[in-house]
Amino acid sequence: MNTNLKISNVTKIYPGCVANDNVSLEFNSGKIYALLGENGAGKSTLVKILSGVVIPDEGKIYLNENNLKLNSPSDAKKNDIGMVFQHFNLFETLSVFENLIIDSDEKREGIREKIESIMRKYNFSIDLDIPVLNLSAGQKQKVEIIRCLMRNPKVLIMDEPTSVLTEQETSELFLSLKQFSEEGILIIYITHKLKEVMDLCDEVAVMRRGKLVSVSEIKNENIESLANKMVGQNLKIIKKKKVKTSSDQLIKITNLNFTSEDPFETNLSDINFSVNRGECLGIAGISGNGQSELFQVLSGEIISDKNSIEFNKNYIGDLNPQERREYLMAFSPEDRLEQAAIPQMAIFENVALNNFKSSNFFNNGLINENKIKEHSKKIISDFNVNTDNIELKSQFLSGGNLQKLIIGRELITSPDLLICFNPTWGLDVGAINYIHETLIKINEQNKSIILISTDTDELLKLSDKISVIHKGKLSKIMNADEVTSEKLGILMGGAN
Amino acid sequence: MIIDINFVGLIVASIMASAVPLILASCGELITERSGVLNLGVEGMMIIGAISGFALMTVTGSLIIAVFGAMFAGVLISTIFAFLTQTLITNHVATGLALTIFGIGISAMIGKNFVGIPGKEFPVLFEGLKDTIPLLSPILFGHSIVFYFAFALPFITSYFLKKTKIGLIVRAVGDSPESASNQGINVKFVRYACILYGGAMCGLAGAYLSMIYTPQWIENMTGGRGWIALALVVFSTWNPIKILIGAMIFGGLTIIQFHMQAIGVRIPVQFLTALPYIVTIIVLVVISRDSRKIRLSTPSSLGKSFHKDN
Repeated sequence: MNTNLKISNVTKIYPGCVANDNVSLEFNSGKIYALLGENGAGKSTLVKILSGVVIPDEGKIYLNENNLKLNSPSDAKKNDIGMVFQHFNLFETLSVFENLIIDSDEKREGIREKIESIMRKYNFSIDLDIPVLNLSAGQKQKVEIIRCLMRNPKVLIMDEPTSVLTEQETSELFLSLKQFSEEGILIIYITHKLKEVMDLCDEVAVMRRGKLVSVSEIKNENIESLANKMVGQNLKIIKKKKVKTSSDQLIKITNLNFTSEDPFETNLSDINFSVNRGECLGIAGISGNGQSELFQVLSGEIISDKNSIEFNKNYIGDLNPQERREYLMAFSPEDRLEQAAIPQMAIFENVALNNFKSSNFFNNGLINENKIKEHSKKIISDFNVNTDNIELKSQFLSGGNLQKLIIGRELITSPDLLICFNPTWGLDVGAINYIHETLIKINEQNKSIILISTDTDELLKLSDKISVIHKGKLSKIMNADEVTSEKLGILMGGAN
Repeated sequence: MIIDINFVGLIVASIMASAVPLILASCGELITERSGVLNLGVEGMMIIGAISGFALMTVTGSLIIAVFGAMFAGVLISTIFAFLTQTLITNHVATGLALTIFGIGISAMIGKNFVGIPGKEFPVLFEGLKDTIPLLSPILFGHSIVFYFAFALPFITSYFLKKTKIGLIVRAVGDSPESASNQGINVKFVRYACILYGGAMCGLAGAYLSMIYTPQWIENMTGGRGWIALALVVFSTWNPIKILIGAMIFGGLTIIQFHMQAIGVRIPVQFLTALPYIVTIIVLVVISRDSRKIRLSTPSSLGKSFHKDN
């Protein structure tokens, strides 16, 4: 049976931001639709409206000509709209089975058979009786998909589903989605990844700043045309010039181990690598494989054996982050608002947190505000942070501006090594470009970078050498021009 | 020395009786906490239950009205907590502390007229069987209905959480209110219900103290049992069966140290009085060491306000 979903003149206004501005769209089953846009373009709000999580200020939604009243997620479910959220809606401490039956009214025995038959049909293999927190991201997503399929949905909405998946898991997902589509389920696929749109979808709707800017068939588009529509201007394509790197060793890690007391953290075992001056070492991996522990060990948040880290001919494994900074290391952690900056403090106060002996931010225990403010203004202008109010609390900066401020704070003292962890996570294309340019510039000045990232494209673009972290172990270090994203994907999945 | 076997039975029975209010309050609070709400007002709700039960018994003369009235009083005062924390999104810890202070104050005020009035005898069950089996008879027979209910409650609670749909929903809300809400579960409603249930159980625990255990009204008669109940929930890692064990150890040591003091054992009194607290916590920490199991039974959203954004 044909399914027709119509969004008609939907508007949703949040204080200070129009998330959806009079959006109208129409979808028909048998096709896979892409909803494309940058972060903050309004696509998440639109799908939250379709799934009943957010109620629109104006506008109507029709499914097969029936006007739907979606006031809660259960209304969407009743009307056969299924949704897989970007951040999984699972209960980590409950078992897979309990997660699946929680919104079902059927008897337990019957449900188990039904779940098993769905899993057989689509070739999913998941243990139903273990807690969800033991599953990989790809398996968790399958649990979400099964939960939707149990209700025989007419519409299935996937919100940025590949952000946590490996290359292999992504292609498995695409196969399943094509199968669902052939069976008559209408698929709406939300993403900001252009390549996925080209690979998977039949039609694409592009959103920008809350407005729908274009609807077109994929066969009339290519990656460049979609990118320009999404960003609204012609994008500069950044490429790293291949320079000959020195053989002058800057940092050497020898037999570094870390055993966590928290069973849900990853242990690091036998980490060995070195980085030369002017080099960028990329560390790839699926999130949760020890990246955050590795970052903490390298930055000194976790202190290790003195001799395990040799930097500039000094042994610094037992030093804390501030002491390591004095040796000209710099750090940009993953979590911008929790680890890198303090949300409730002003920009200049956050700058003062990097207190070098030479910077004279404090005189005899008193804050030298003028000095700090002067320093902050220099960071803001040198690193293109889009604000002139240095007394603004850092929580009010956009992700891109905050990341520029943090990178600026770290780089203003021209350190020899910058260690960054997912520096462009969740940023829009413009800010990503700026950060990438900045990182390339560091290498050109013969300074080094350790780039821990879950974004394979970013790693291939910026790294000279690449290693993959899997379950706390590093693969051998490869030259970046010898690897492909497919090869990285295989290593990220744990194969040799 | 010959130990009278029935005397041992009597001691065990008195230990069990002293564990009853702890079990009731802990099992109630456990349900509240499993839904993600931290209510530190247990002491306050218990003392409100104690004075309401005693006052209603004295005024109406009906034990049934008194018991249910005490539970209703617990529900009423926990409604204040629920309204503040769930509807007005106030901080759980501060609100719970305020509830305890409020409960102790208002119970003292109401209780002024009831000091010194003797309580009524509460009927016991199976009294005729009291001398049939040596050792076991005093343990099994001749107790109030509340006593039997309290010892069944941990098993009922465990079954409820593990095997029933509503129990599953309570655990889900405590694990992730955001996910639960997106699944169409009414998080506020579930949390309200769990808070009110916790209030009812604390009210019953208080009524047991003032009507059955020591049938009279004394100001501040809960004497910190609410805090012990709270500690039992945490140290048992939200496991009702371990609450039962913890409450028995605590009750047991409290009774035994009284006897030791009476006999005149040469251990400082302060140490004996502190003993139940120390030993209970040590035992519960030791039996709940498995950090994997702790992670699985700890309500992840405990004490965090949930606000649905629309």
